[in-house]
Amino acid sequence: MTNPTPTIVRLKLSLLRNGLRQSAGRRAAYVASAVVVLLFAVLQLLGLILLRGDAHADSVVVILVAVLALGWAVMPLFFPGGDETLDPTRLVMLPLRPRPLVRALLAASLVGIGPLFTLCLVAGSVVAVADGGVAYVVGVIAVVLALLVCVALARAVAAANIRLLTSRKGRDLAVLSGLVIAVGAQVVNFGAQRLGSSGLAQLDPAADVLRWVPPASAVGAVRSVSEGSYGVAVLQLALSVGALLGLIAVWSRHLTRLMTSPDGSTLQAVSEAAVRERTPTGLARLLPAGRTGTVMERSLRYVWRDPKTKAAWVTSLAIGLIVPLFNALQGTGSIYFACFAAGMLGIQMYNQFGQDTSAFWMVALTISSPRDAYVELRGRALALLLITLPYAALVTVLTTALLGDWPKLPEVLGLSFALLGAMLATGAWTSARFPYSIPQEGYKNVAPGQAGLAWISIFGGMIAAALLCAPVIAVTIWLNVSEGGDAWTWLLLPAGAGYGAAITLLGLRLAAPRTAARLPEILMAVSKG
Amino acid sequence: MTSAVSVRGLWKRFGQQVAVAGIDLDLPAGKFIGLVGPNGAGKTTTLSMITGLLRPDSGTVSVVGHDVWQDPVDVKARIGVLPEGLRLFERLSGRELLGYTGRLRGLPGPEVDKRASQLLDVLDLAGAQHKLVVDYSTGMRKKIGLAAALLHNPEVLFLDEPFEGVDPVSAQTIRGVLERYTASGATVVFSSHVMELVESLCDWVAVMAAGRIRAHGTLAEVRGEAASLQEAFLELVGANGRAAGSDLDWLGGGAR
Repeated sequence: MTNPTPTIVRLKLSLLRNGLRQSAGRRAAYVASAVVVLLFAVLQLLGLILLRGDAHADSVVVILVAVLALGWAVMPLFFPGGDETLDPTRLVMLPLRPRPLVRALLAASLVGIGPLFTLCLVAGSVVAVADGGVAYVVGVIAVVLALLVCVALARAVAAANIRLLTSRKGRDLAVLSGLVIAVGAQVVNFGAQRLGSSGLAQLDPAADVLRWVPPASAVGAVRSVSEGSYGVAVLQLALSVGALLGLIAVWSRHLTRLMTSPDGSTLQAVSEAAVRERTPTGLARLLPAGRTGTVMERSLRYVWRDPKTKAAWVTSLAIGLIVPLFNALQGTGSIYFACFAAGMLGIQMYNQFGQDTSAFWMVALTISSPRDAYVELRGRALALLLITLPYAALVTVLTTALLGDWPKLPEVLGLSFALLGAMLATGAWTSARFPYSIPQEGYKNVAPGQAGLAWISIFGGMIAAALLCAPVIAVTIWLNVSEGGDAWTWLLLPAGAGYGAAITLLGLRLAAPRTAARLPEILMAVSKG
Repeated sequence: MTSAVSVRGLWKRFGQQVAVAGIDLDLPAGKFIGLVGPNGAGKTTTLSMITGLLRPDSGTVSVVGHDVWQDPVDVKARIGVLPEGLRLFERLSGRELLGYTGRLRGLPGPEVDKRASQLLDVLDLAGAQHKLVVDYSTGMRKKIGLAAALLHNPEVLFLDEPFEGVDPVSAQTIRGVLERYTASGATVVFSSHVMELVESLCDWVAVMAAGRIRAHGTLAEVRGEAASLQEAFLELVGANGRAAGSDLDWLGGGAR
């Protein structure tokens, strides 16, 4: 039989080339992103070469390679559509044996921007730490090894999870990918700032562990050789070789199984459901009876199960925590940043019915009076409070603890609760007045043609919420500037909480008749996704 | 004869297009009623306006003697609906969806669970009751939608294309449940463009085309002299005699 490697490498090249044969806009985006990635790679390369001689260079490169490998491992899970040759089920009709196929696919994996980027980084890492001729020889081996481990890792993860990636759950996961990047960027940004302020020495403990973890261990070996510890270097290289062989073995086993078993996207779903009996969570028993509990239960289930809702929640929870906490950690933050958590989480009350999609008809058919609408909205607000109230309190306490400003805790808590109440009130009202569709597929959160509506709903609502909070803010400022006012700031906790609760109830009362009167219009507005 | 549904002067426009152009109709109670018409005849729009999911431009609708828009409390409790083209709460399992719907309808929890179990059994969904509805097939979706519509034992049931995309086994199951339901005196109104189905199921038919009612009455009345409902229908909507092949005389075996 002929060797399939050249064919499959050519296939990969064709796929890359075809990326350019799209519309002009997409081609521009494709080229621009490639150029940016390559520029970034070259800058990294230069930076690493400049790092040469730095006392902590070895720690930096080991961690860099480890992070890179992590990226390769999660990439196929979040961007399953990124590389079509990653999906071996497309080759299932071809008469290929596993061993040549594995070789061919591994070779094809080395073609592309990702591998080129990795090559630049790993090569730069070797240059940064290598010292002496032997070290450079080991360095070349390390570069090849690290690169192979990275692509084999991606292939093994993709093959092991192909069922997941081609199923509904995989698509759900992909919706969360943007979020992982957003939160990851925050963490990286924070990490970089920390390093900038307190130096690279902080990396050493982590690097001490990672220099034994493949593929970082291959780069670690270069350093070991440079220091003359040949035994350690051999061991580190052996670890990477072992990892490579292990990954290829796992991959080829999954590949064989995939090629010889039927495509089971539906088959598997049935058997899985038959095996897994869902046990009642006990949640229902704790919630109040009637419509309130029913609505709360459904809302809470959707926070976890609906990918769009989940992504929105995780974003709010993460940003609501990261902003006040990181600001406090950097010593630049104000304790009032803690209110950010309440504000972020309150956004979840906005466009409640849009979150239902056109399934809102099931709700609409059971609302026949403003009272029904009130109970429906109140149930949703209560479900939200079940998460937001403790979370906002927790973020406030953590921020206070980091800043050590305990006397300010009551007033900040009070402000948070007032803000949360105002967000719930305006959220309920805009849900009834300015509903819009949230498309279930893709990354967009507003249906085409409804962006204006979404802007009015969210920004108008947020400004209104801020205005509604004005009395509490005014009292806070007054108590803080007036002489002897500090002794009374604790009053802001009960006052803020009471104000928040009152304004929420008022908002729900005003929103309920509007909801009940506009059911067909709301249904029409949320059915465009 | 009392009417389950009474429609007077119903109109609906979407921009320039008139979807429903003045419908007057009385649907008799206790019958299996078919609303038939070609695609785009206005069936879905009409059913949506009757069930309170779409606001008419003008006209009145009353269901079992109560005005849909003036008196929603009395109407909504008495009707069950299975719309076409609208989602369900798909991230709930089949059983959870029924539990949710029943409780929203104000039924006591234990009663909802009892009815849900029986409906899941009868509709052959017991094996998939813990699976999320998003993973259901088309037939299973229609069945779980039907179960949700029946849960509160409505007096009138509205089904929009209940057999569209459904496999023969599921269709037979749905049919069985509907026949049992009407036998007890309840009314079923369903829309379809499959004439054979309507002919074998319904005892009362309304034919719609281009937003108007073209004919209505018992099956025998609407069928008239024609051999089948299909023929009578084609006659009514003016599609008969439009020979399919006159311009395509090159099509078929033999000479190229």
